[in-house]
Amino acid sequence: MKYAGLILANLGRNKLRSLLTGGAIMLAVLLVVLLLTMPAGLDAFLDQIANNTRISVHNKAGIVYSMPFSFTRKVRQIDGVAAACATVWFGGAFEEEGRVTFPSFAIEAEHAAAVWPDYNIDPKQMADFLRYRDGAIVGRQNMQKYKWKIGDRVTLKSTIYGVNLDFRIVGEMPNDRSPLFWMQRTYLDEAVKAKRGTGLSMAGVIWVRVDDPNRVNAVMRQVDEMSRNSEAETASETEKSFFGNFFGSLQGFVTIILIVTGLVSLCIVFIAANTASMAVRERSGEIAVLKAIGFQRKTIFATLLAEAMLVASVAGLSGVVLAIAVTKMLRAFAGWNPSLGPLGAFIVTPTVIAQGVCLSLVVGLFAGLVPAFGAARKPVIEALREIF
Amino acid sequence: MLPLSYSIRNVRARPARTAMTASVIALVVVACSLFLGLISSLKHTLISTGDPLNLIIMRKGSDNDGSSILQKEAFEAIRYFDGIARDTADNPLVSPELVVQPFFRTRDGGRENVLVRGVEAVALAVHSNVHITAGRMINPSSSEAIVGKGVLGRYEGGELGSDLKFGRGTWKVVGIFDADGSSFESEVWVDVRELANDAKRTMPYSGIRMRAASAAQIEPLKQRIEADPKYALQAQSEVEYYSKQSESANSLYVLVIGIAILAGIGAGFGAANTMYAAVQARTAEIGTLRALGFSRLAILTSFQIEAIGLALVGFVMGAVATVGLAALLRLWLGGLAFGAATFTTNVVTLRVGPRDLISSFILSIAIGLVAGLGPAWRAARMRPVEALRKA
Amino acid sequence: MSPSVEPIISIDHVSRFYRRGIDEIHALDSVSLTVQPGRFVAFMGPSGSGKSTLLNLVSGIDRPSSGEVIVAGQRLNDLDEDELAGWRARHVGLIFQFFNLMPVLNAVDNVALPLLLTKLSKRERLERAEIALRIVGLEDRIDHYPSTLSGGEQQRVAIARAIVTDPDLIVADEPTGDLDARNAEAILNLMRQLKNEFGKTIVMVTHDPRALRFVDEAFHLDKGLLLEGEEAARAHESIVIAAGGGSVRNR
Repeated sequence: MKYAGLILANLGRNKLRSLLTGGAIMLAVLLVVLLLTMPAGLDAFLDQIANNTRISVHNKAGIVYSMPFSFTRKVRQIDGVAAACATVWFGGAFEEEGRVTFPSFAIEAEHAAAVWPDYNIDPKQMADFLRYRDGAIVGRQNMQKYKWKIGDRVTLKSTIYGVNLDFRIVGEMPNDRSPLFWMQRTYLDEAVKAKRGTGLSMAGVIWVRVDDPNRVNAVMRQVDEMSRNSEAETASETEKSFFGNFFGSLQGFVTIILIVTGLVSLCIVFIAANTASMAVRERSGEIAVLKAIGFQRKTIFATLLAEAMLVASVAGLSGVVLAIAVTKMLRAFAGWNPSLGPLGAFIVTPTVIAQGVCLSLVVGLFAGLVPAFGAARKPVIEALREIF
Repeated sequence: MLPLSYSIRNVRARPARTAMTASVIALVVVACSLFLGLISSLKHTLISTGDPLNLIIMRKGSDNDGSSILQKEAFEAIRYFDGIARDTADNPLVSPELVVQPFFRTRDGGRENVLVRGVEAVALAVHSNVHITAGRMINPSSSEAIVGKGVLGRYEGGELGSDLKFGRGTWKVVGIFDADGSSFESEVWVDVRELANDAKRTMPYSGIRMRAASAAQIEPLKQRIEADPKYALQAQSEVEYYSKQSESANSLYVLVIGIAILAGIGAGFGAANTMYAAVQARTAEIGTLRALGFSRLAILTSFQIEAIGLALVGFVMGAVATVGLAALLRLWLGGLAFGAATFTTNVVTLRVGPRDLISSFILSIAIGLVAGLGPAWRAARMRPVEALRKA
Repeated sequence: MSPSVEPIISIDHVSRFYRRGIDEIHALDSVSLTVQPGRFVAFMGPSGSGKSTLLNLVSGIDRPSSGEVIVAGQRLNDLDEDELAGWRARHVGLIFQFFNLMPVLNAVDNVALPLLLTKLSKRERLERAEIALRIVGLEDRIDHYPSTLSGGEQQRVAIARAIVTDPDLIVADEPTGDLDARNAEAILNLMRQLKNEFGKTIVMVTHDPRALRFVDEAFHLDKGLLLEGEEAARAHESIVIAAGGGSVRNR
């Protein structure tokens, strides 16, 4: 790149302008990357659970329409079912806030390890979970957000059952993004029995792990057939489909995000193109001289384009780096937000990084193309006439 | 002072550059107003659901009526308290209700939790903002439903006269209602007893809505309801209840304000660039003006006005585009669905209101002010001799 | 003039018309001339006489409407815009009235600029640029930027830039037009020196009467026509008188 010196010298000609343009592009790329992390978080979340063999069994009418707890045992007897675990939404909230701040479930502790082997919970902690009836296993996101450690005691109020329960944190799900909170079903059962005389007789969702991926469909069919014409007919679906439906209602919001992202991207192109055209106009005399002393059009075109691309890509890359830093902060600050769901995860995936980098290159290309083409195309005699 | 026409003429002198810069500001205005509009629409939907005269009564400790359970006796016990509004037949305006969130199939094959509210006829009198716009109110025990206009067309079987399947049964849609854009419009109402049967609820109600005779009656009513030791009830004004429900939208506000600030700074950089170029191109002109005796302040003001003018043009372009785009989005997407904290779907109609536009207006003026400051200062600082020499 | 040597510039019945609105402007009208290698010639005439147009044709910046232009053995009529650019890079060194240096580059980088179009390494490029600067007497200004140089110095840098590629032909458009008397003479002297010491062919457009003392030959143009015989002599005489006498052969 023997023209590098010329390109750099030209960028240094108006440092303030290069900085302002670079800054604008950087901020815009930062914004685009931040916005894109939202739908990307949703995709990443769904992908994460896509290739496993877990299925959700719930009442066909809705999650709030529960199933008899005893159905879990029947499900376990189906051929191909490796494990099944009944879960119940606890709706845990801190007494003082009275608002659900993370999803909490009462589960059958003895089946958890077999249904969620991919959660990689320390077997020793799992054993403690079984040993202590008030034990709780907590996602690392909560551990970090509330600065909990293993052995801490936490009190949660159930917005569903109206009971306050004390928990002993005995383990964690070693995933920075897990907002979950698990307790023993038997512990909640006792508390509910004490409060209203009858214990828990139902299950909200039964999670089932199938040992062979090829049998997933067969198992789902069998479960639903087994419940046909019963009090609670079930609808089984894969975990991915379950969460996909669950967050399907965010699609409208995602559309708006994408529109805004598009607008901001357009903004960057305008800003960069504006600068590139200013640079070219200001320099039309010099460009004419370059042509006169024998620089060919493609060389002029390439150096002008390279100049725009250089600003855009350096600024764009800084924007991406900045976005990674900002998301780190946002994750610490936002955590699990029920209205955003996985949109609020703010994970910068490799795809998002690639999109950010591509965007900056495309911006440089678009912004530089038109003025560079215009400057290069002009016949030297016309260009020179302007300076003589 | 330099005349305003000087600034205007300068803005018009370089139409391409002016258009480019104004477009950048316009795009930022569109992005911000759209986002703000989205969130305020969501907030409006949630908050406007509450009626200032209405009380919501739940079991103590419940934070939403989906998780509260009440016995029939509790309803009977408070039904005839003093201070409750009465209808023409002297019946108290107390509406026992049950909410359940069954799955509904959306037209595009998805699945959403929709809030189904079991009601009695009195519900229409208590919820004064709910009006039946087509068809009629449900009759008890006949598997009928009325649907909010946000539900209409979104789900399979959600039209007047068709069969709507949810829960364990099938319901005939006999009426459509609107509710001033509130979240009731995302609900389906059926007979409370039928719903309890369908959902196999032993306790028939989840909450009770009550209309106070006057605002002064609210506090005494609340106290009397909460004092009852037998049923452990809590009473809350509806407005308070729904604004608490809408708190989940607050984190969205923070997010959008952050986005607006970032985009604003970016656009400010772009605009400052244009203004610096303008100052540079007019060095000789500025020198002449200074030589003629115009003060620094006059030059500064003139450039500042130019920058703000640019921002104003951008705002107007952006505002017009936003209103158009919002209308287009309403047509294209229909209602926007939101899963609220209770996991029920709220269908929100995107509306960019005057307040959203005012916020964007302030943002664009701020962009103009800040972006103009540096260049205007540079112009004002030029010494006439130097400025003239550069010519 | 020895007719046995092939002329470096051969212009044969060359015309150049421009359209401006509905008018057709005859910038040059059937001009023919030749220049032998190693000569320093001037195109002179009032503004609008067509001297700059002629210069542009000779340097391959413009192409004729009709007629033939052959420079350094190349028929320029046949080349397109990019071929012309490449040809200029190899065969022509250009000097402008307003120097036209790149403000963002220092003296040596400005001089080395045309060498970017060659296959030379960076070191060779800088070495040659330094040699060229030494020839124009600016070896102590190597890292100065144009804005810190005087007009005369800037024009010397521009001349260094014109000779750095060792072109067959140096073309100068009013090289003294923006300089004071002392600097103008110094620049003309330098150009004369380039001709004498390096055998360069130099073509210059000027209306500076002083130039007559330095050039081998002057062509006089008026209203797009090359003046000949008596008309040319009269034009020449009036310039000589303005310059206070001189010893230049007229054509």
